[in-house]
Amino acid sequence: MKSKNPIKDNVSNEFTITRKEALKKIGEYGKYTALTAIGTFIILHPKKAQATSVINNDDNNGLISPGANGFFD
Amino acid sequence: MHEFLSKAVEDKSIVWFKASNNYIILEEIAAHLVHQILENKTPQKIATKLAEKLTISEQEAIKAVHDLNNRIVIPNTTKTTEEHTSKSKYGLPSSFAFKKHYHIHNKVFKVEFANEFQLSLLHPKFAHLETQETSKIEHTFQVFNANHLIHLVLDGECIGSWEAKNVHYFQGKFSMKIIECIYTKSEAEWMGVFHASAINYNDENILILGDSGNGKSTSLALLQAQGFQCIADDFVPIDQAQDVYSFPAGISIKKNALPVLLEEYPELETSAEYHYERLNKTVRYLPPRKIDYSKAAPCKALVFIKYDATIDFEISKISKLKAFEHLVPDSWISSNSKNAASFLDWFEKMPCYQLTYSNNELMYSTIKRIFEDDL
Repeated sequence: MKSKNPIKDNVSNEFTITRKEALKKIGEYGKYTALTAIGTFIILHPKKAQATSVINNDDNNGLISPGANGFFD
Repeated sequence: MHEFLSKAVEDKSIVWFKASNNYIILEEIAAHLVHQILENKTPQKIATKLAEKLTISEQEAIKAVHDLNNRIVIPNTTKTTEEHTSKSKYGLPSSFAFKKHYHIHNKVFKVEFANEFQLSLLHPKFAHLETQETSKIEHTFQVFNANHLIHLVLDGECIGSWEAKNVHYFQGKFSMKIIECIYTKSEAEWMGVFHASAINYNDENILILGDSGNGKSTSLALLQAQGFQCIADDFVPIDQAQDVYSFPAGISIKKNALPVLLEEYPELETSAEYHYERLNKTVRYLPPRKIDYSKAAPCKALVFIKYDATIDFEISKISKLKAFEHLVPDSWISSNSKNAASFLDWFEKMPCYQLTYSNNELMYSTIKRIFEDDL
């Protein structure tokens, strides 16, 4: 005879839980979700001073043609 | 008692600490715990309540409280002083190879440069403001190198000294001093300076933001050609009263933007070209068409813009928290408590959009619709 609920039939009893048990488990996860959320944050650092767009990186060599007198004269 | 501010934005809280001038986005429950720690409640007392609320063990709760204290409260209530500048001892050079005068607002500034390289750091953006009028100099800047640092002196007082890697802070400080002088407002009276372009229409402004290369300046130049007024490029000052002020530096136009702009700005064809070797960028500066120094005006919206040849046009309102994440690290925001409070209030009411386009006409009409509350 064909089952009325094939999904249920395919689920091993070993893994089925009652609604009450399910809610309890979600509750447990909820706690840990809240705890994880407490420890999750983003720290944003504004610039320490006014700046223009960065047009060079780590030295003066990339910045325009400095002519005869470079940065480190 | 440590100074801090807190503001609920969307489903999170933003907490600002005066000592670090950092903004922290966190869950409301975490912000509440941070407040309690800052109010000097004992960790045990805070944890007991938290354990009850979340039905967790006191041990887990106290660990969470200690964690917040160690990772947020302690580091952000300890004063930091890193400012990329110092005021080292120096001797003024005996002579300056270059002298320029600029007429900005109603003032004449004299700027003396010890060598051509220093001239190249500041002059291109302000070349259109150069004047031959040298009789009524209000302020004198001197720029020179000593001890491997670039120094900036204003009216005999050393403003700062920067290493080569921080030359963009030297340029920023020069711009800031210009702003302070022309509007006679000290640094403490400014809420912040934003890395954006600003346009004005009917006495309101929109800030155009986005990563470098996204097309902020090109969009600004295109909008100016359509009759919107250019307020600032790259350096947008906003005061304590949340008004945006004009900054008269030239609009930087990259080589790849020239074809689209030459029709509106034929003068770009013969403008001086500056080559930034390391970034492989060639830039020309377009003077703003009309600078109105008298008209500080409020900001209407923040628009994160991106020119993308593969997309005709897209606009959407974006999460304020996402916008905040992009805005803050790219901006100087005053660490003065009054200004930080003003910034949080200002941001809270600011609509934020993401606009991606290759269709210029749709970009113009949409910006106009934002100004006219018609979006």
